[in-house]
Formats: sequence, structure tokens, C-alpha cells
Amino acid sequence: MRNPWAQTGNYRTSYVQDTTIFANYREIVSVVLLLVALCVLPMFLERSQVLVLNFILIYAIAVLGLNITTGYAGLISVGQAAFMGVGAYTVALSAPSLPFWLTIPLGGFTAAIIGLIVGIPSLRVKHLYLALATLAFQEIFVWVVGRSPALAQGAAIPVEMRNFLGLEIGFRNHNYFWYYVILFVLVLMVIAWRNLLRGKYGRALIAVRDNDRAADAMGMDPGRTKLMAFALGAFYGGVAGGLLAYMQRAVVVEEFTLSRSVALLAMAIVGGLGTVVGSLLGPAFIEFLRLYVERLSEWMKSNAFIQSITPAGVDVASALLPLSFGLVIVLFLIFEPRGLYNWWRLLRSYFRTWPFRY
Amino acid sequence: MKRAMILVAMAFLGLVVAQGRTVNLLWSGAVTGPTSDVGGPYGAGVEDYCRYANEQKLIPNFTLNCTVRDDQYQNPNTQRIFEEALDRAKPAIYLGYSTGAMLQLKPLINEVKMPTIPASAHIGLIDPPNNQYMFLPVSSYSEQVVALMEYINRTTKNARIALVINPSPFGRAVVDHARRAAQRLGQTIVDVREVGSGNLDNTALLRALDAAGAQFIIHQNVAGPVANILKDAQRLGLNRKIRQMGAVYTGGSDLIRLAGDAAEGFLWASSYYTLDENAPGINLQKQLAQKYNRSADILNSTNYTAGMLAAAIAVEAMKRAAQRFNGRIDNETVYQALIGMNGPNAFKPGFAVSTKAGIEIDFTRSEQTGAEGLRVLEARGGKFVPVTEPFTSTLFRQVRNP
Repeated sequence: MRNPWAQTGNYRTSYVQDTTIFANYREIVSVVLLLVALCVLPMFLERSQVLVLNFILIYAIAVLGLNITTGYAGLISVGQAAFMGVGAYTVALSAPSLPFWLTIPLGGFTAAIIGLIVGIPSLRVKHLYLALATLAFQEIFVWVVGRSPALAQGAAIPVEMRNFLGLEIGFRNHNYFWYYVILFVLVLMVIAWRNLLRGKYGRALIAVRDNDRAADAMGMDPGRTKLMAFALGAFYGGVAGGLLAYMQRAVVVEEFTLSRSVALLAMAIVGGLGTVVGSLLGPAFIEFLRLYVERLSEWMKSNAFIQSITPAGVDVASALLPLSFGLVIVLFLIFEPRGLYNWWRLLRSYFRTWPFRY
Repeated sequence: MKRAMILVAMAFLGLVVAQGRTVNLLWSGAVTGPTSDVGGPYGAGVEDYCRYANEQKLIPNFTLNCTVRDDQYQNPNTQRIFEEALDRAKPAIYLGYSTGAMLQLKPLINEVKMPTIPASAHIGLIDPPNNQYMFLPVSSYSEQVVALMEYINRTTKNARIALVINPSPFGRAVVDHARRAAQRLGQTIVDVREVGSGNLDNTALLRALDAAGAQFIIHQNVAGPVANILKDAQRLGLNRKIRQMGAVYTGGSDLIRLAGDAAEGFLWASSYYTLDENAPGINLQKQLAQKYNRSADILNSTNYTAGMLAAAIAVEAMKRAAQRFNGRIDNETVYQALIGMNGPNAFKPGFAVSTKAGIEIDFTRSEQTGAEGLRVLEARGGKFVPVTEPFTSTLFRQVRNP
């Protein structure tokens, strides 16, 4: 038997081996090292920098969900922010009476039930028409929240957690505490994602995406598969929304509007649809882009020369963020439709050894 | 001799340290992005007043370091900028901006005990819980709307009123108070409609409100949507039939610029002096706009006045904190200075109108509204002119906590 640590490539001889999560021991080691690095990272960062990381990780969970619905099942959804909102409001309403480790899954399950309902049009319509159905849900969500006194009509509902197992949680450690909680949840969600999608259900999703009639002929149930894709995607969104509620200490509807849904879709596209790595790289890329464009806008707004050459009434600094977002998405769609994941794949392929896995 | 030299050296060192002390103020708002037509001039007002405060040494022995940041109207950005400032600059006071972000930050602001003066005048900011450190520079949107209803009642009894509000917490803040006020005044709220930006044709809205018998429309919105409704009302000939009016962010030079002559007759509730009036704050505003090369659009904007007023209150509170607490300016002493800003210690910078008692800006521990006086102004000949004396809504206090 070969020494697994000295393995030079992939020597798989069975289907079971081919569906394992890790190709070889080096992959396990690299994931463990990544997790260790992520665990120690906050020690070198300021509180506000950890806040940025928290946003990235939360969006990564939401994008993982979007990657089930859109990336794997091919069902275009522009309602992921609304699913996040369902999770966040569930948490806001249940947090006074339940601990956070119950409210967050509860938020996920509530969103999943709503996802099942929202997914019903997918039984009849596809592509752009389905995207419009999810768009309608997104708008209905904001409308309903705005008219619900129980949800403060979209104004803030405080979500506070001051204590966990005797640990006082306050301003000093709030971001750090939630960083580790979010990281833990993200790892769980990634494992669940990988396990779910490498098996029968994952293949059914791909089959339904590529040709639902053929999938039906082969004994799969396209309707149930699509509904499950919506429910699972919404579950991930709901969990992300619940975490966001705790992290921001309050829920306001402005966090869950169409622009957030579009941003999540942009993160999924830029990261690479249907991939775990893309779900992490996409949010990170977009959030860092946002940070740098914000600095550039501030500089442009305060620079006398830039202001003097800009035509009166034209606010270039304001346009910079939407412009750069749009440009990035278009450039990725044209030049790198497989997203940042493909760069990661190419990078890894330099270090791969024969025999390769296909 | 040796002891005297040490004492002199220590005194000199103390003087040097005192001269070099810096105190931080943070403002974050939408300099770019949505609502930047408000945030841009507001931020410029804060910035210019800070420069002026340093030049005039308004806080003796201290240099004021004003950080003006652009949150692009994104709540996560506001949170990050605020926490970043707490990590690095440790501001003594925070000047906030949007309703959503401020409502969201309330628990954190309360936890870190940071005196905060937001641009938003949402009543929920100074309502419990977590409201202790929030101070509105002028009367709340709800009070402005109730004041307009009281104004209507002076001339028209049992009026039929429609509310047209922004589809957000900013817009909806006023609805409950307006309903309660209408009940007490014998008025009828015939309809509440939500209208946001992009309302390019308001025919259906205006026809529906006309059919409902609305005599008045009260807007709680920003100038853009209101201007479109005014233009459509003029086109439909309803401008003479239905009188329109609105709270502070609906009016001003922005509305005149956007609506043109359709704005004529629009009534506007505002606590601020207009640019045509001879008030110390307005004179300073003109002087600073010229000195710092601000455009005419910024100079004419009420939001520039509003930014200056917020900064003026903050600077005054810092100055008083230094005087009262032996040169200690931090969030705690500034909070004490703010809640002590009342009675004979009320602040009068001349940006906003005074109440009948002659008080412009005052705060107490429980009364967190600065300028409680307001006027109703009317658009006439391309500018707003006051049509009432400054007054304070008595009814609002009754309907706020029924």
C-alpha cells in the first residue's frame, strides 16, 4: 500500500473513492492550515477590520445558498437578500425568548419554508421568467415588512446578546465573538454543502439544470429537485440573515433590499458559480472592491482638480461604486465567466502531480 | 532655585501639552451615492464649521480633528466607519446621518456612551430603548408634520388630509403621530401613500387623492419625489384645489430648483433660517461658503446650514466640556455638556429660529431635541418666505406619549 502522505497524485480506483471530499492528504492539511490561519487571523486585526471579515463570511454563507439555487440548479434567483431578511426577522422576533444557537437555525428553517413557496413558480417557468418571480418575492418581502407593525415597519428591531455561557459580550469582544461563531457556522455549512452536492442529490441538481426532461426520463423528479434547491438556498440565506442580525445588533429592512440581492448574485458570478471556493472569494473580492472604491470616491470628492474638470451637476464620485460593480461583472462575464474560482483552479493545477483527477 | 526651575519647566511642559491636544469629531454620511444631494452639502457644512472652529480657536488649547467620511448610504459602511473611529480616533462626539443606519447603531451608540447628533430627525432615535445618547439638532419629522396639521387647522376646520410618504422608516415615522393629531384636531386622514424616487407620472396618485376629497397633501419625503408630484399637480390643474406642504427635507432650494414654478405656494416646516434672513448663523454660513470656495448650490442648501448647526452644537459642547471638566474632552464630558445646555446655558448660534422663550438650542437628559421652534414657510417668487412666527407644537407633545 502506498504511503498516503507521500502520494504524488490521485490513485482512485472506485466510485466511492472518487466522491470523497478530499483528493489526498495534502488537501486535508491545507484545509486544516487554512482553518488555523482563519482562527488566529483576528488576533492581528482591529475590531473594525474583524467587522469587515464578518460581513464577508456572512455573505459567503448566503452566496453558498445562492450557489445551490442558481449555481447548481440553474434557477436564477434575485431574492436571496429577502431570504436573508426572513432569517433576520425570525431571529429578531425569537431572540428575546430563545438562545442564539436555536434562533439562527430557526431563521434558516423559516426561510427554507418560504423558499419552498417561492420555488413553486419554478415548476412552471424558467430562466428570465423565474428570475422575475423571485424579483417579485424580493419586492413583496420589503413591502410586507414596511407594512407590518410587528416588524417595526422596517425600522430597527434590536437584537442583543449580552452573555454566552458566562462570557460577557460587549463592544470590546462583540466582533471577535461573532467572528468565531460565523466561522464555525460557515465551516458547518460548507461541509453540509459538499456532502449534499457530491451525492445523488447534487447530481440530480446538475441533471435538472442541464436538461430537466432528460432528468425526468431518467427517473428523477425535477419538480421536487427544484423546490428542494430553493428551500436549501433559502435556508443558507436565512442562516446568514440571522447571523447578520446578531452581528449588527439590530434588524432594519434596508439591509435586505433588491440591491443586496443583486450584490449577492454579483459575488456568486465573480467568485465562480457552483463552487465553494468561489463562494468565499466572491464576497471577499466585492467587499474589498467596495472598500477601495469608497476611498477613491472620497479622494475624488475632496480633490479640487478632479472637481474642477468634472462638468457641473455630474457626480462622478457617486457613480464610481455602481460603475465599478457593473464593470467588474461585465468583465468577468466576458473574460472569465468561471470567475475567480478558475484562477484558483489554474493556480492549483501548477502544483498538481500525475495521475490527475478528472 | 532648583525647585522653582523644575516648577517652571513642568508648567511650560504642561502648556506645550495643552497646546498640542487634539480632540476628534466624526461625521459619516452619504457624500456620494443615494441622498448625496443632502449628504454632500451637510458634510460640507460640518467640514467648514470645523475649519472655522480651528481658525477661531473656539475650543481653547485644543485642535479639532474633524473626520468626514462617506458611507455611501450603506448601513454596513456606517457601522464600519463608526467602529473604525472608535478603534483609532476615539471621537468625543459623533455626527450621524441616515435614519436606517442610526436606528441600527442605537444599541452600539448606547453601549459605548457616544453622544450622537444625527442628520435624521426620526423620533425613534430619541425614543426608548437605547436613546440616552441621541440628540436631534432640530424638531423631529413627526413634530414638523403635526405642526403643519396645526397650521392647517388655523384656517380650515375638519380638513381632509392625505399623507404622501417615503417608502422607508424615514417616511413612515410620522404616520402614527399624524393620525393621533388628526383625531384630536377633528381632521381626517383620507389616505396614506408611499412614493419613492422614480415617480415620473403621478397622475393616478393625484386623481385618487382628489377623488378621496383630499384638501391638503402633507409630504414626508426628500425633494425629488415631491417636486415631481408638484409638477404633475400643476399639469392636472390640481395645484389650486389641493394645497401641498412638507417636512424639513421636502423643501428648500432643492425643491425650487427641481419643481420650478410648480413649487409656488408649497408650505414647508423648517427650524432653519433662510439665506435671505439676517441671522448670525446664516451670515457666518455665507462668509464661510465664500471663504472656502463653496458652490452656489451648496451655499443655498438648507442642508449646508443643517451640517453647520450640527457641528456648531458639537463644538460648543466640547468647549463647555473643557471648561467644566478641567480640559477633559471625551464622550462622557461632552454628554454632560450637552445635557447641561439649557436654561441660561442654552446655545444660540443663529442657524435656527428661537422659541417664544428666546431659546434656540437646548437639551436636557430627557428632552433630546435641540431647536424646538419651527416656522411654516411658503414658496413665493422662487424662494421660501416665513408665513408664521416661530412656534412649538403643543399638540405633538400630547400625541407623542398619549
